[in-house]
Amino acid sequence: MTADPTELGIPEDAMRRLAEMRPGQATSLFTSDLSVNEFLLVREAGFRPLGLVLGSSIYHVGFQMGRWNRNQELTVLSQAMYHARELAMTRMEAEADQLGADGIVGVRLDIEFKEFGSDLAEFIAVGTAVKADAPTTPDGYGWRNNRNQPFTSDLSGQDFWTLVQAGYAPLGMVMGSCVYHVAHQRFWQAMGNIGQNVELPQFTEALYDARELAMSRMQAEAEQLHAEGIVGVQLRSHGHRWGGHTTEFFAIGTAVRPLRADHTIATPQLVLPLTDR
Amino acid sequence: MAEWDGQGLPPVAAERVRRAAAGGAWTSLLTAPAAAALEVAGFDPVGEVMGSMVQRMGWQGYRGCGGYGWGGVPTTITSSDGNRFSGFAPYVQALYTGHGTAIGRLVAEAAAIGADGVVGVRLAQEPMFGNAHEFTAIGTAVRARSRTRPGRIFTTVLPAPDVTALLQAGWVPVQIVYGISVALRHDDWATRSQASWGAGNVEVSGYTDLIGTTRADARRLLRDAVRRTGADGAVLDDMTLSVWSVEPAENHRDHVAEATVFGTALGRFHAGAAAPTRTLTYLPLR
Repeated sequence: MTADPTELGIPEDAMRRLAEMRPGQATSLFTSDLSVNEFLLVREAGFRPLGLVLGSSIYHVGFQMGRWNRNQELTVLSQAMYHARELAMTRMEAEADQLGADGIVGVRLDIEFKEFGSDLAEFIAVGTAVKADAPTTPDGYGWRNNRNQPFTSDLSGQDFWTLVQAGYAPLGMVMGSCVYHVAHQRFWQAMGNIGQNVELPQFTEALYDARELAMSRMQAEAEQLHAEGIVGVQLRSHGHRWGGHTTEFFAIGTAVRPLRADHTIATPQLVLPLTDR
Repeated sequence: MAEWDGQGLPPVAAERVRRAAAGGAWTSLLTAPAAAALEVAGFDPVGEVMGSMVQRMGWQGYRGCGGYGWGGVPTTITSSDGNRFSGFAPYVQALYTGHGTAIGRLVAEAAAIGADGVVGVRLAQEPMFGNAHEFTAIGTAVRARSRTRPGRIFTTVLPAPDVTALLQAGWVPVQIVYGISVALRHDDWATRSQASWGAGNVEVSGYTDLIGTTRADARRLLRDAVRRTGADGAVLDDMTLSVWSVEPAENHRDHVAEATVFGTALGRFHAGAAAPTRTLTYLPLR
């Protein structure tokens, strides 16, 4: 099955290219933080990487006290998380727009609380801007979304390739955030269940509420993009630096629309890898 | 033994390279799958090569004030700006010299043993005693089964299986490229008030500008490095950012950001629009 590389002329052509290389020849340089496999798959899916794009914001997250014994959303904190992420995402999209990109793949969205100040966090969005080889999608539209912005996707190159093969186009990353304060137990309640295995309905309900808020906000964003659905949803919870009872629930995924009616892909071959990982 | 003057390779390394060039068993840092992958791409391992340099790194270039731009408006000043406030330029220059010398010595070893390239290069910077830092580059030298000798040694941080995947798709690694920038910004009134306890939800525009400018400068330097190699683009391997504060005088705080980007420049050698090899959909059984 493996072809002879010398017959394919791989080392010969590669060495000749190196021999002919002269500084400053290239006019359009790309940079990409995709892994090699992702880079090759994105190329094969019919997209050319244009460049690494990123947006970031250092944000001062405000303060809000949760009532000690009440389940409640801390709206000030929720808004901070939303606003700062939006700033980072918008700046990344603006960079991609300037490059004339159709989309951004492999987006990573991270938050890091900084050591040099209190309540200071860096929000960063990084991805690779890509342009499609074909100007329109198979169903005759452009690749950009209904806001005429490049699509964004946090899917890996592998997932992106599979998604396009299966006849779906990404529209945009959608997210929902909710910072929630879970009530402390009242004294007698806490005394009552010491040493027992019991459900704490108040805690269960709080976590349900918070996740539901985050997920419904994500869904609303997808509906605004006229998406058919959302793939690759991750539901994360971050404690950040707010102590045990205050948690951010964060839902994120890629909204997609269909490119064709059937969504079948070629049946994959089965292989037994010879590596031990 | 005569003391080494810092030119070329240290005597011990030169002697090892001489032995390797004379033939005998080769050494490599390759795993078994990596060795098999190189075989598929038409490359043979020639030997393990390395370069190292110990350098004293002082902060002698740092001149205190983060500085105000014209008209008292605070600005972020990067090590590339070349004005009298870009005090970190000597520090950044030292980092460039360290990595560059280590890679240069690695390439010199590879050239001496008749290699065409070095794959899986690991770069490191380790602090030693005092202000000394050791910069190292270590990798496996390979030789192509071809008639053409490129006349330059390609280097890449990518492991051999990745190199094979690239070659099969018509891309050849060209050179390790990097961009390093350090920038300084004076804490002005707006920054202090935005970052204060009672500020509420607000972007700290001064710090955002500091990290944005530093990263942008590192990315620009990387692009320039890619352009100088004559390659078509680059895949990035590692991107870091660190921020710390310095207090050069009483009641006077500055913030410093250091951004680095490392990657491998790639050249394209297949002419057609489609890659010479196509992906097969496999489902691993483990």
